This record gives sequence, structure tokens and C-alpha cells, in this order.
Amino acid sequence: MAQLKLERVYKRYVNSDKSFFKKAKQNDYAVENLSFTCYDGEFVGILGPSGCGKTTTLRMIAGLEEITGGDIYIGETRINNLLPKDRNIGLAFEDYALYPPLTVYENLAFNMRAKNRSDSEIKRAIDYVAPLLKVEELLRMKPPALSGGQKQRVNIARAIVRRPGLLLLDEPLSHLDGKMRQQLRHEIKRMHHEIKCTTIIVTHDQMEAMSLSDRIVIMKDGNLQQMGEPIEVYDNPANEFVAGFIGEPPMNLLSSVISRADGAFLFTFPESELRVEVPKRYYDALSDGQRVTLGVRPVDVVVAKTPTKGSSVPIAIYENLGDERRVSVRVGDSLLNMTTSEDVWYERGEMVQLEFKAEKTHLFDPETGNRIVSRKEGS
Amino acid sequence: MDNEQKTNVSSQSKNTALDLLGTFGRNLGLTLYALFALFPLVWMIICSLKLDSEMYNTVFVFSPTLDNYKAVLLGTDYFKAFFQNLIVAGGAVILTIVAGVPAAYALARYDFKKKEDLAFQILSFKFAPEILVILPIFTIFQRIGLYDTYFGLIWVYQLITMPLVIWVVRGYFEEISVEIEQAAQLDGYRWFDIFFDILVPLIKPGLVASALLAFIFAWNSFTFPLVLSGFKIQTMTITSLRYIASDTVHYGQVAVASLVAVSPEIIACLFIQKHLVRGLSFGAVKG
Repeated sequence: MAQLKLERVYKRYVNSDKSFFKKAKQNDYAVENLSFTCYDGEFVGILGPSGCGKTTTLRMIAGLEEITGGDIYIGETRINNLLPKDRNIGLAFEDYALYPPLTVYENLAFNMRAKNRSDSEIKRAIDYVAPLLKVEELLRMKPPALSGGQKQRVNIARAIVRRPGLLLLDEPLSHLDGKMRQQLRHEIKRMHHEIKCTTIIVTHDQMEAMSLSDRIVIMKDGNLQQMGEPIEVYDNPANEFVAGFIGEPPMNLLSSVISRADGAFLFTFPESELRVEVPKRYYDALSDGQRVTLGVRPVDVVVAKTPTKGSSVPIAIYENLGDERRVSVRVGDSLLNMTTSEDVWYERGEMVQLEFKAEKTHLFDPETGNRIVSRKEGS
Repeated sequence: MDNEQKTNVSSQSKNTALDLLGTFGRNLGLTLYALFALFPLVWMIICSLKLDSEMYNTVFVFSPTLDNYKAVLLGTDYFKAFFQNLIVAGGAVILTIVAGVPAAYALARYDFKKKEDLAFQILSFKFAPEILVILPIFTIFQRIGLYDTYFGLIWVYQLITMPLVIWVVRGYFEEISVEIEQAAQLDGYRWFDIFFDILVPLIKPGLVASALLAFIFAWNSFTFPLVLSGFKIQTMTITSLRYIASDTVHYGQVAVASLVAVSPEIIACLFIQKHLVRGLSFGAVKG
């Protein structure tokens, strides 16, 4: 059990194919100025698209990659120069990395054998972990005979059997099919409740991160975008990237121009008749003619009962998915999607009135992508 | 319903008849091919039992004699050549494994400058005909005192055995996920332990198959021992020449010598036949 702290961590891969005469081109940072803390017993998800540096971060924590700059602490100890085996870490690899010549039992025991534990001690540890991940039946088998889900269970069991201070899971569910994925997700959650070990999971699947983690770290291009509780990240995305990345179906991001009419601000959209009232709380942060990106989740756009001026638009796409209905309207050259679980029927081309839930709209600076904060909120 | 069943039955019996015919035909074909492939061996056995005077007729009925066997096995130091051949070929394969497996590992795992060039260089040892490089090697061996020594022959045999083992085993190493090694590293094992406990069992099929082939190539090598060894060391391939005298060729004795020479290879192949096919095809298909 331990707290993990990253302080201004950098990683740059060295170009391997350097020619003798030319100076090697330097790579961009794979991870840049990354700082965050995982508290004792916390479950933290690192989430991001592929190539964002999340696995690199995990491997630096595990000691499989050198750290270019910055410090990593586990508890009070700076672990930059510790060998992987001395960091007291359990790592579950993405493609399992079980030892094929050994039985599952020996796979689990492998680490403790290196530490010269007695046979009875090893057996006790395995007897405790095996039911947690439901691998009791598999102990005598060898890895090539196991299915993907079974391999992943063994892989995670192998990571926790050593009672690590820090458990690292590298995309543990990415190779599994849908149902198995859901099942194992529940089991990982249950296991974490049981052993209460500080855990970091790396994933590109937001469902996984949202449902498992106490807090989420969102990364893009090696940079930290936002860290926070899942619902906080969902409700208050720090920038356009986080807004578009979290949530399914994704948030609508429409480029818009603010215009002033009769003392009220309106969102106008290029090549569209649509007008939407700007929520009052943003008034002091905006000015006439300002360009903004308006973000609103599909569930936060509703068909209005009372018509307001300029909000009537024809339906471009209507899909009934059974448990929800998706309606899309054309705004300029992009689509504005909305979903509703209400049992209503529409047809393509039908005119509807739109209303945005004022509290659930997000404004972003189109240049920087950062969130525009109303002054009241900011103070 | 009835009709359907009937047609089913008749088509079934037809199928079984066809199946039978197919099985029969296949086996017949294989038998014919086996006869064709084994005939040279059979002919050699027949020759070894004939007298020199009967050598040129093709009659299959004759009174067999063991004179040739006596002459070769008891009359000459043929067994000495057999064991010397064993030492040279076996030593060459052992050296190849000791040096080649780590080399294959390095070529599979590490990125270093000119890696592919080096790998190709190793493969290219097999390109040149031995006869092309034998004279310079002969001169060098004479000068540095390697001529007619076990070590010299084992060394030069690496040209035959090393490329094969390195290239097959490298493919096997490439298929083993690096993460397995990293997992073991996290588990607190030294590279050495990981290599022998985890990696070696995984490359074993490829290693056994390629080592066996390498052994056969080394065992059969003719040019190198012909030029690079003299009186002290004689391999079987060279010794077999002895029965070609200036006035006559003792075909019976040549046949005996050859039969003894191929026996270890045949025995080894029979033992690891399954390993051989799997070991050499597995790495290649997935590579």
C-alpha cells in the first residue's frame, strides 16, 4: 500500500537508427511535464487515445523505461534508479506475457520463488488469490491451453499475488470480447475492494476508466489534460479535447459566433439559421462577435415545447435504436446530435424547436481549446 | 422421408467406397514413392553384399558375402574415422549452439547499428561454394597451425552450421514477446535465469531441428576435411575415397563405408522426425 507521486516527469525516446555521419533527429517528448499523485488505496485510470504516452508512463513507473527527466516517488522513496524488482510493483501486461513452459500455479509462484519463499507460504498466497480471480480450476494447466479471458485473469493474479504496494494494469481488457470484458471489469473492481491496493489502470476505453476509477487522468500527446473524478471530468471538461473524448455518443462541438441582439447574447452558427440563447452566467466573459466553440452533450439538447425565435430546424437524420432515439440536425456543415429516451416519433425533414439545457453547455476558446470560464465560476 | 433416407444411405455407401478408393490410391502412391526414394539405399545394401566380380550385373539373386564388411570394418581404421567424424561434426554443432543461440538472441532483441547487414553477412557464409574459399583457408590454416587439427575443422565447419542455427533460432526468439522477459524482470529474476528457465524451452523445437540439420551438413562435409585435414584426422567422407584404388574401384567396400556413414543420420532423423518438421515450419510460417 503506497502513495504514488509523479513530479514533472519527461520521457523522450532515443532514435535507434542513428547514422554515423548525420546527427540523429531528436524525437518529440513522449511524455511531457507530467505530474500527478495517486493516494494510498486509490484506483486511478490513465485514459487517452493511442500514442498519448499513457503506457509509457506506466512503464516508467514500473521501471521498464528510463525516465528522461523528473522524479517518481512511491511513498517517500524516489524510485527513479531502483530496479523494477525492488519497486514492489505488480504489473499486468497487455498481452498477458505468461510463461508458456510453466503451469499456471508456477506462473503465480514464479515471483515468490525468486524471493526464496517457502512452499507453504507460496501455497497460502496462491490459495488466497486464486479464488479472487477465479483461477482455481486453471492452476494445473499451462498458458497455451487457456482462453484470452483466462490468461488475463492469471496475468492479474500473478501481479497481485506478490502483494504489491502498487498494482499497474496495462490495458487489461483490450483483447477481450464485449461480454468477457464487462465481467472481468466487475471482477477487477471487486478485487480492488478486497485488497485495497493502490491501482493504476491504463486504458483507451472511457467506459473502463469511468466505471473503475476513483479518479481519471486524461492524457493527449504526452501531456496531462485533466485529472479528476469521473463525474467531474464528464461534467466540467477542462478543454475541448476532454469534452470530445469523454462521453458516448461524443459531445457536440460547434463553432459559433456570439452576436448581441436586444441586450441578449445569442449563439449564431455559420451558414445556419439556428439561434440559441447564451446562458446568462457567460455574459460577463463574452463580447459581441467573439468566436467560441460550443459544447453540448447529445442528452442535453431537447426538443422544446414552446417555440422560440430562430430555433426551428429540420431533422436531418432520425434513428430509433430501441432504448433511445437519436435525432440529428444540420448546423452549417456539421451535425448536431441529440439523444432522448422519451418515446417520441419523428420523421426526416420534420421541423423541431431546439432547446439547450443552459447549465450543461460548455464554451471553449477555438484557438487554445481551453474552457471559457464565466467570471462568477472562476472566482 | 423414406426416400430421403434411402438416398442418404446409398450416397453414404458411395462415399465410403470413394473414400476407400482414395485411401488405397494414396497409400499406393506413397508406397511407390517410398520404393523409389529408398531404392538407392537398397541398391547400396545389395552392393555391399556382393563380390567385386558380381558388381556390374543387375541380378537380384546372388549368394551374399560379408567379405566387404570384414575388409572395411576390421581391415582398416574405419572406426577411427567414424569417431573422428563424430568429434568434428558434434563439436561443430555444440560450438554453434553455444555461440549461435546468444547471437540469434541479440539479433532478435537488440537494435544496433548495421544489425540487418550483420545478419545477412552471417547468412551469406552459405552462399559461396566451399571450393571457392578453400584455398585461402588452406593457406591460412597452414600458417597459423590449424591444419589437420580438430579445432581447425570445428572452426571452419561453423561456416556450414552457424548460419542455419542462427536464422532459425532468431525467428523463434522474435516470436517470444519481450513482455515475458520484462515480467520475469519484475519478478526479480536475472536475465540468465529467464533465458534458461523460460526462453530455452520455447526455442527448443527450432533449436533441435536446426541443430540436427546442421549436424547432418557437418557430418557430410567433404571439401573442408579433404583439404584441411591430412593424416591425423580423417573423416568418413574422406576415408571412403580410399577404396577407389588406382587400378580398380572396390564398389562393395565403398558401399559398406557409405552405409556405416549414413547410419547415424538415419537413426537421428527417425528419432526426431516430428520435431524436425514442426520445428522448421513453425517459425517460418508466422515470421
